[in-house]
Amino acid sequence: MRTGSALLAGTICVTWAVVYLVTQVFVSPPLGVGTTVAAGTVATVLLVFGYPSALRGPRAATALRRWSRRRAGSEAPDGREAQDPEGRGAVRSRRRIVAGGRRMPLRSGLTADAARRTAELLRPLLGGDAVVITDRELNLAFVGPGSDHHQAGGPVRAAAVRSAITKGRTVVSRRASNMGCDDPDCPLRSAVVVPLVVGARVVGTIGVFRTHDQPAPRDQIEDMASILSLHLELAEADRERKLASDARLDALRAQINPHFLFNILNTIASKSRTDPDEARQLLLRLSDFFRYAVRQEGQLAEFAQEYFFVRTYLSLEQARFGDRLRVRYDIDPQVLTAHVPVLTIQPLVENAVKHGLADKVEGGTVTLKARVDPLTRTTSIRVVDDGVGMTADVLDVLGNGSSPDRGVDGSRGAAGARGGVGLQNISERLTTLFGERFTLDIQSTAGEGTAVEVRVPLR
Amino acid sequence: MEHDDGVDEHDTPAEVDATFRTLRRVAITHVVLFLAAVMGVPALSLTLGWWSGGRLAGGMSPGFAMAAFGLYAFFLVIGLAAATLSSAVEARMLGGRHDDDNDDYPADGELP
Repeated sequence: MRTGSALLAGTICVTWAVVYLVTQVFVSPPLGVGTTVAAGTVATVLLVFGYPSALRGPRAATALRRWSRRRAGSEAPDGREAQDPEGRGAVRSRRRIVAGGRRMPLRSGLTADAARRTAELLRPLLGGDAVVITDRELNLAFVGPGSDHHQAGGPVRAAAVRSAITKGRTVVSRRASNMGCDDPDCPLRSAVVVPLVVGARVVGTIGVFRTHDQPAPRDQIEDMASILSLHLELAEADRERKLASDARLDALRAQINPHFLFNILNTIASKSRTDPDEARQLLLRLSDFFRYAVRQEGQLAEFAQEYFFVRTYLSLEQARFGDRLRVRYDIDPQVLTAHVPVLTIQPLVENAVKHGLADKVEGGTVTLKARVDPLTRTTSIRVVDDGVGMTADVLDVLGNGSSPDRGVDGSRGAAGARGGVGLQNISERLTTLFGERFTLDIQSTAGEGTAVEVRVPLR
Repeated sequence: MEHDDGVDEHDTPAEVDATFRTLRRVAITHVVLFLAAVMGVPALSLTLGWWSGGRLAGGMSPGFAMAAFGLYAFFLVIGLAAATLSSAVEARMLGGRHDDDNDDYPADGELP
């Protein structure tokens, strides 16, 4: 394996040999068996657990450094805290608020459940008797005295909240009369209400109420509202990213080439006279192909399902190309149950057939090789063809992720023909799913063939 | 929709070949483990005095216990594992999936 599982196995063997030599041969008298076994076991465990980490790089250390930097950034340097006009208590309180903000339930969006959990979390932090979180029309959550009539799920009753939504800025109310609650028995006397803003839109408010005339500290509540707004923006960005990823998948589904369908139908039509049984088989396979493409839900699927999709596609293409298209699968048993991104392998294979072999008179072989490396927890899928290959210019255009339309003359059409759009789509979807924890390598030599390899984390 | 009217489903030679090669990998792994266990017992007897000289329950040495019971248990486990894995490989790598034909899409193409 390219990532060196064989190397690791060899290293473990050598380690055991060294342990044996040291404990049984070089030492006189030899150490006990238990000592030898324990030393060998400890060394093996260290190697097996340390090896994937070494391959991945010092991620924990990086995370630690980032965390340290963030902490350093969020805390005042030496001496500054003492000079802070708000005093240590306020700074400590703000730090608790920031810590609370990091695990904010609103990260999943402005829902009633998330609002309730957020209000319960913030009530002791913000120094108020009651906390309300609203959207533009309803109380999503209300925690504290007054919840009998400021009910969660009910309409916004406090005029201060409605005012904050309308004006889009903080409203501070120091008297019960200014609160604007229409219930005469309402125990709440003062309020600070801050709008929650996503972009330029007011999507809701957070209000902190007290049962006396001294309102809660405005700065703290505005800070928390900023954090909540940021979480809501991130939630919206997540939602948009997911929508974009779904749209890319739909685009890939819609990208099934109509020419492929025409060609297969023509092939089936011609076979229906000479070999009706095979024609029927092909129709069933075509049905399977489209059923999988249309019905597949979610972003990940078991490799065996994707493999079925690929071999269905290739069997249809083999009916059309005949002996010109040869196929070789090399599948690791472990990879069959691994989960891979849907509709990722078939476009790679289709590129190999359509752009690698179709233009080659004598045809060629498409090889699909799939492996799992349990040590590095990665799944690798490699599609190789011995077709016409690509020139360096075309490879550069694909490697830069440029649209084929933006390519240089001569390579422009070739890059597009080579499946640049499909590759870009796959690359974007992999980025959405795995961030930077995947690789998409393309190697090609003009006249010799192309190899595309995808490595994704093992799921 | 019923389509099983006598046309046998068949896999392409490339698919059968791929399944054969994957099953061969399973079989080779099984043989390697088998041989490792078989060779391991005499190897341990040659290298570790405790393996032959130690005494377990009933006065058996660890080597004797391994040869009498351990190896059979190990062979049973790896045999079952290889058989199960082979069946799973065959089920996943051969055959079609058009047995779930209760499509939500009627023949006239109208969406449900």
